[in-house]
Amino acid sequence: MSNNDQSQQITASKLSASRKELLDLGAAAWTRLKSLRVETTATPLANQPSPYIKATFDEKVIGAVKELQVKAVHNGQDIFFYFEWGSENPNYTIGDVGTFPDGVALLLPFKGPDQTPIKEMGSKDFATNSWYWRPDFEEKPKNQIAHGLSTSLYTQETSLVSVSKWEKGTWRVVLARPLTVKEEAVNLTPGTETAIGFAVWEGGNGERGGVKAFSKEWRKLMLEA
Amino acid sequence: MPVDQKQLTDREKELANELQAVKDRLRTCKKQVAMVMDLNKCIGCQLCSMACKTLWTQIEGREYMWWNKVNTQPGKGSPKDWERMGGGYKVLFGGKVRDPVRGQLPTRTDFGDNWKFNFEEVFASKAGGKHLVASNPDGSAPNWAMNWDEDQGGGKYPNAFYFYLPRICNHCSYPACVDACPRNALYKRDSDGAVVVDQERCKGYRFCLEACPYKVIYFNFIKKTSMKCIFCYPRLEEKVANACARQCTGRVRFVGFLDDKAGIIHKLVNVWKVALPLHPEYGTEPNVYYVPPLSPPALDEQGRIDPQKERIPMAYLRFLFGPEVEGALRTLKQELEKVRKGGKSELMEILIAREWKAMFGPFAADPAQLQRAPSKG
Repeated sequence: MSNNDQSQQITASKLSASRKELLDLGAAAWTRLKSLRVETTATPLANQPSPYIKATFDEKVIGAVKELQVKAVHNGQDIFFYFEWGSENPNYTIGDVGTFPDGVALLLPFKGPDQTPIKEMGSKDFATNSWYWRPDFEEKPKNQIAHGLSTSLYTQETSLVSVSKWEKGTWRVVLARPLTVKEEAVNLTPGTETAIGFAVWEGGNGERGGVKAFSKEWRKLMLEA
Repeated sequence: MPVDQKQLTDREKELANELQAVKDRLRTCKKQVAMVMDLNKCIGCQLCSMACKTLWTQIEGREYMWWNKVNTQPGKGSPKDWERMGGGYKVLFGGKVRDPVRGQLPTRTDFGDNWKFNFEEVFASKAGGKHLVASNPDGSAPNWAMNWDEDQGGGKYPNAFYFYLPRICNHCSYPACVDACPRNALYKRDSDGAVVVDQERCKGYRFCLEACPYKVIYFNFIKKTSMKCIFCYPRLEEKVANACARQCTGRVRFVGFLDDKAGIIHKLVNVWKVALPLHPEYGTEPNVYYVPPLSPPALDEQGRIDPQKERIPMAYLRFLFGPEVEGALRTLKQELEKVRKGGKSELMEILIAREWKAMFGPFAADPAQLQRAPSKG
């Protein structure tokens, strides 16, 4: 079910800025645009596709990041999402066995959001597409397809690119992609609307995979014509 | 806080059942291969480790891995202090309920990292000018490795003791790693029950490393996936025994199907009951079994042999192999005594392993004799 609250909509405004300009965290557009504050919460333990996680993790401890600021724009060719969230101690790489990188992702339904369960990353007949960023993906975020919990797989090709910076307790990430891509993914069209969800991982809290914070409901994503 | 079943929605209950059914399927197999290692014959030479290293772990981030290793007991093992890292299950109601136990993740230095050596420096210096020095990838001096505490053992003079414990993945019947993986990347192969990690599905989340109580799973820092002993399944498919087993100079390792009633494995595990799993209390039902070590007699302060006292404390063997170890050792001693008195013992004949190939059951094919098409053309 999507959240119909107007204040919970994201509008990707159309700008005439170039890809290069918008793939810059200091771009004027990012300073000017108002962000949507998305509340994020622990993924429910009951839905964890691992009896081990279910039995030994604590839902109260999962989901260290409580909110995410999101902005979106497109220039007719590419779409750009800007994320900002607090993280006191950044985890950039997998330096050791017990180190997990921070991360952020957005989720798009292929078909109707009302039939696509966001809590389960879709279902057999209602797949989802996620764009998954981590600092150790070296500016080549992963494009994923999921048909329900534990089914997500990276596609071989990805048109996603990113820029990111952690500074003074804050991660800022821009995730971008052409509106239409060749690989299996949700293509986006200006002048239409779809739904969007989010997830964020605090690596320092041992968060990875389904152990994360996420937006429990779809938000409406409008693409300005 | 565990999940409160009463609070679940209908969909959550349905989903839980669906997910459980997937796990049940992933852990079943049609046949179960097993290995028995006779600790009375292991000399700690690490030929098994080298055979495994040569075959499987020389490349692509696997260099620091030892899918097979030989630890000295008592000792901290590898990864260091793995027995204190949790994981596995708390078994309740006679095995009807297995409650997962939270595990810790070892560090790469607990395993022993991928050391670099100053070969060029030594080569370019005058004789004795520079000595060979190992360092971790971050430049620090190593302070742990596979079998770092070699031959230190336990006990006090004159009753100090040690023995060797070769370790591979236990290819458990109730593998904690399979249960742990939220990606369903780990599963038991239908044809032999070997537990493997689907490298296409694995995303390197390391819940399996956390949950495995034996800490035999490694993380590949280059591929960003988890990797482990695969019980040499590509060899098994060609009827060839595991590299570690064939390479063993001490004829320590027996390989075969557990349910083959005429096979050696079944005889050692189920008939003679002298082969036991390591730490059965971890609740994962390993398919690697050990014939426990017979102890040399203790010495008194004057150095005289006391045949009534054993040098390896029974409490320590019980810690490793559970309460069944006493019966297993009793049987071994009885059969040994029978042979000493000139009698015959089927058990001793099996354990002596006069005929090398007989140790490998249906996997006695010689890899050098396999008809294999050339990789090109």
